Amino acid sequence: MARRILFRLVIGLGVLWGAATMTFLAVYLIPGDTALLILGGPDARPTAETLAQVRSDYLLNEPLIVQYASYLGNLLQGDLGQSYRLRIPVTVAIGQQIGATAMLAAAAAFVALPLTVLVAVLSAQRSPWVRSIVSGIEVVLAATPTFIIGFVLLIVFSFTLRWFPIGGDQGVIALILPALTLALAVFGTLSQVLRNELEDVLEQPFILTARARGMRDLPVRMLHALRHAAIPVMTLSGFVVASLFGGSVIVETLFSRQGIGALTLASVYNKDLPVIIGIVLLSAAVYVVVNLAVDLLYTLIDPKVVTS
Amino acid sequence: MNNKALHPAHNSQRPQGRIAILASLLVASLVSGCAASANPAANPAVDPASDPVSGGILDVSISAEPGCLDGHGISATQQQFLGRLIYDNVVTLDDDGEIAPYLAESWEISDDGKTYTFHLKEGVTFSDGSPWNAEVFGLNLEHMRDPATKSPLAAAYIAPYVDGTVIDEYTFEAHLEYAYTPFLYTLAQSWLGMNSGKAILESPDTLCQEPIGTGPFTVADYRPGQGISYTKREGYDWAPEWLEGDGEAYLDGVEVTLVGEPVIRHQSLVSGQYDLTENLAPQNAAAVDANPDFTYENLVRTGSPNVLSFNLSRAPFSDQAVREAFVAAIDTQAVTQSLGFGTFTPTDSFLSTASKYYDPAVEGTLHHDLEKANQLLDDAGWTGRDDEGFRTRDGERLVIDVPTVESTTPNPLLVQLQGEARKAGFDLQIIQLPQAQLSELRYAGDYDALAGVWHTNTTDVLFIRYHSSEITGERIGQNSSYVDDPTLDDLLLAARAADDGQIADEAYSEVQHRLLDIVPGLPLHENPSQFAYSNAVRDVAVDTSHPVPVLTYAWKAE
Repeated sequence: MARRILFRLVIGLGVLWGAATMTFLAVYLIPGDTALLILGGPDARPTAETLAQVRSDYLLNEPLIVQYASYLGNLLQGDLGQSYRLRIPVTVAIGQQIGATAMLAAAAAFVALPLTVLVAVLSAQRSPWVRSIVSGIEVVLAATPTFIIGFVLLIVFSFTLRWFPIGGDQGVIALILPALTLALAVFGTLSQVLRNELEDVLEQPFILTARARGMRDLPVRMLHALRHAAIPVMTLSGFVVASLFGGSVIVETLFSRQGIGALTLASVYNKDLPVIIGIVLLSAAVYVVVNLAVDLLYTLIDPKVVTS
Repeated sequence: MNNKALHPAHNSQRPQGRIAILASLLVASLVSGCAASANPAANPAVDPASDPVSGGILDVSISAEPGCLDGHGISATQQQFLGRLIYDNVVTLDDDGEIAPYLAESWEISDDGKTYTFHLKEGVTFSDGSPWNAEVFGLNLEHMRDPATKSPLAAAYIAPYVDGTVIDEYTFEAHLEYAYTPFLYTLAQSWLGMNSGKAILESPDTLCQEPIGTGPFTVADYRPGQGISYTKREGYDWAPEWLEGDGEAYLDGVEVTLVGEPVIRHQSLVSGQYDLTENLAPQNAAAVDANPDFTYENLVRTGSPNVLSFNLSRAPFSDQAVREAFVAAIDTQAVTQSLGFGTFTPTDSFLSTASKYYDPAVEGTLHHDLEKANQLLDDAGWTGRDDEGFRTRDGERLVIDVPTVESTTPNPLLVQLQGEARKAGFDLQIIQLPQAQLSELRYAGDYDALAGVWHTNTTDVLFIRYHSSEITGERIGQNSSYVDDPTLDDLLLAARAADDGQIADEAYSEVQHRLLDIVPGLPLHENPSQFAYSNAVRDVAVDTSHPVPVLTYAWKAE
């Protein structure tokens, strides 16, 4: 078990190194003069001295390999550098935003997961028309871009009914629509997978046995079937994390919220290399941790996973 | 589409642009439908004579954030508005656009125009308790031009500044390399607001996030990507005279929130979530203007209007006839009307009508005349036509490359120009590029034309835009037309060195006429400052330096 975890950790570090390197190269290859971007883009009129200072401060005149070595060296010391745009350390820039996104993601998960379980459990092995309606809604939600879902919610609940503020970070009420937007997209996919799994499981002999013992339908579904159907769904947790993080880019912009998503978008647009790399590393770290956690959870839910 | 999309020279790095355009397309009709009936609550009767009420927080939405709040280190448009909350300047422009006292009580300029002696206001303090004095003034000028500040704007504005002498605690002498009359005007701009000397010396790295000024408000909390909370500065008592107020601000604070989507900015204003918004989108202007609960302002910014600048350094716009033909080919009235939903003012000058020394005699010089355009092109040898109807010369098509920042829908201004230009046989190619690549192309001069604005409160904008020394070379300049005309250079040098007055007036007038001879671009429309606020907000002042709301003595009615 310990060896298994150690192995996963080493793999995880490799993933982080790979992510850091790939991002470094990708951003380096985006055309455009980084010094000019640091100085504010086309509405700037910097002096020659300022331009020279920026180029030397950020090693922009150095060969790629020197920039990369310096970057990796700093990274190993936990120094992600300074944001070009915000002119503060990247760790601080991300630290300022991570709480808001974590809260949004948690709220979305809090809505999406019970909704998924509820809908999937109740709709599995039902009459064809119930299944078609439910799965139709799911497909639409899964296929619709987050941006559109958010906008429809805004138009209905904020612009028209005025139940919720049109954006901002003020309090729990402002969190509802953004969280719902993110949750609906995740639910649309997860629920379909979980129902399919449940329907497979419900065909299994042990379910028949349980029913034969006189167990009622709902307890059979919740207590027996769900546990077995959960594992393939958990494998999708990477997808869930990706949806929540990726979706936050759109949702935070649309709902005028702060967070990693808004920071990501602004950073990519401004080629704010240190922040972009910081965010990629953070996302990679989240994936590594989530996968590790899922691995461990498997063994809790189904001890057979380890022995196999 | 939205105002910003038309102004790639300012704030085009705004990340929400694509979504904004998509959003407008998606819901334009739906939203405008419900906007009309959106404000059922009757506004309390407006009594303009009522006395100001102290207290309350003003909720403001803005379209983009500067990233850094230290004016010396940024060039963001929003600084004009945000900077006025926390900074005071050495001088200000009064109601008539004339230089007036602010943190300096008075000043003298030497006969050679190279020495400025400022007598500073006494008893002014920064919000960290440190004093305002001659030494701090000098520190600020050094901070602006220190390469470590990475100033994209302020440093260039004070480039002629050589050094300063502290004569006594409240007297500062600034020495310039040459006579440079725009000096005072630039000092009145919010990018050149005064920072705490203590902060500059002790903690320059914190100025972006926690700027310390002497202004009517202080930054209580800056949340990048979200907003900025400002708190009233206790004991503030040195507002410029034109604000017609004394003492502290009436508002307890100002809460600024970043709302990138124009549709949402508009909706949340109308719904009462915010009291004031800047950069109101033209497509929403009419609805807000017609709404009796709101005040809508559409003011002309000083400086350069929106101009499609030609690149004179290469074919085809190196040919004067082609430039004149292009100008004659475009119906700017029609283009501007459809772009700004009627809120844009067409112009045919290279200087904003709101700028000092604007010469109305230039009006009507450039005008739409398709016949003339065709004649000019025929004479210039572009007589052939290819299968698609575009003009050719020696088998080569008359192509105009116009790079612009990429978005999901093409820049509407360029699309309009493309259609107009085609009528005369120009093949105007819109080249959409990421911001970084666009900047690179721009500074390499690799384009035929570029659309953009440059607003500043000094007529020296004409130097910045058209003097040959401002062509990007060793340093980055804003002469994106690559105008290199000795006559014009001399006129511009004479104008900036002349005392503010008759001689400058004549020189700048000649400059404006000379530009019409050279035709370095196609003037399109005035660069507007569009903002709106609820009528519950009273006494919102407007700066003549940059027409943005000034909230020092604004207050909220019950």
